Amino acid sequence: MASSNRLRRIAKELADIQSDTASKILAEAANGGSDLSHLHASFPGPPDTPYEGGTYVVDIQIPNEYPFRPPVMKFKTKLWHPNVSSQTGAICLDTLSSAWSPVLTIKSALLSLQSLLSTPEPKDPQDAEVASMLMKNPEQFQRVAREWAIKHANAPKTTSWETTIAHSPSNSKPKSQKVISREEQLRLEAARYQGYNKDLIDRFVNMGFDIDRVVEAFTFVNIDKNNGEDYELEEAYMGDITARLLGEP
Amino acid sequence: MKVKIIKWNSVATWRWKIAYDDVCGICQVHFDGTCPTCKYPGDDCSLLSGKCGHNFHMHCIVEWIKQESSKGQCPMCRQKFEWKDNPALAAPTPA
Repeated sequence: MASSNRLRRIAKELADIQSDTASKILAEAANGGSDLSHLHASFPGPPDTPYEGGTYVVDIQIPNEYPFRPPVMKFKTKLWHPNVSSQTGAICLDTLSSAWSPVLTIKSALLSLQSLLSTPEPKDPQDAEVASMLMKNPEQFQRVAREWAIKHANAPKTTSWETTIAHSPSNSKPKSQKVISREEQLRLEAARYQGYNKDLIDRFVNMGFDIDRVVEAFTFVNIDKNNGEDYELEEAYMGDITARLLGEP
Repeated sequence: MKVKIIKWNSVATWRWKIAYDDVCGICQVHFDGTCPTCKYPGDDCSLLSGKCGHNFHMHCIVEWIKQESSKGQCPMCRQKFEWKDNPALAAPTPA
């Protein structure tokens, strides 16, 4: 009984994915047959990343307890990314483990994977080698990630992404520390704010605190992100944040 | 003219007072339908509203809360899921 219920939801989800042509996500039964507990899905690599133009295939096993337990996903396409094993395709992503919720879907999980490709998180790595390369030598990371995208994910040899890299002025300096594209820089910068409004955080940064520490203090005090909008903080919260910032070095 | 009614048939429809056009986020079935384990909608498969304002089929949300991984949280907003007494959803008391 329970398994037919689960299949009913999966069938519904697949129909939903098929009717949504804008997301460019594809999903179907892995063996082309009727076994809906094993799926193959694919999505395009996100623009302005080394994965742009590539197609990434994901293997999905749906557990019997779905949707109360998350689908088990791993990449079939090899890729160079700190949160994906370059050997096995295993993925480190909290929404696919501890932070799973039954209102999430196969499609939302695939969208999370797509977004993971845009925002690598080397501090919580699945592949230590890739992560250390991203931190120590971002230029080399970008190059290898691109090579793998061309070799394994059918990405074209040139895209707008590579034009950006080639024309970025920092690229001409051989010993430059920051050899990442401007877009990449802006995105990394935006990621540091973790959904908080920039001006809101910057009011503290301007007092001389590091962005990451301010964001950490905000999270610690559990300040509302207010959908990324700026707003006036209550005085008590201001006090808590400042205390956190001053209290712990 | 006098009319004598010999017989009549009455027909009625029903739906839950909340959630006009929405599905249960857990089973993705319309609120007026049943959760996956039930056969008949209505009082046998009622809804449960959280204080956070999110609604589910009762059987669906109870199954989720039973999971250790749920940490007792609402699947939608991850606040502690506490159900509220909703007179609109209470089963009618038998006459």
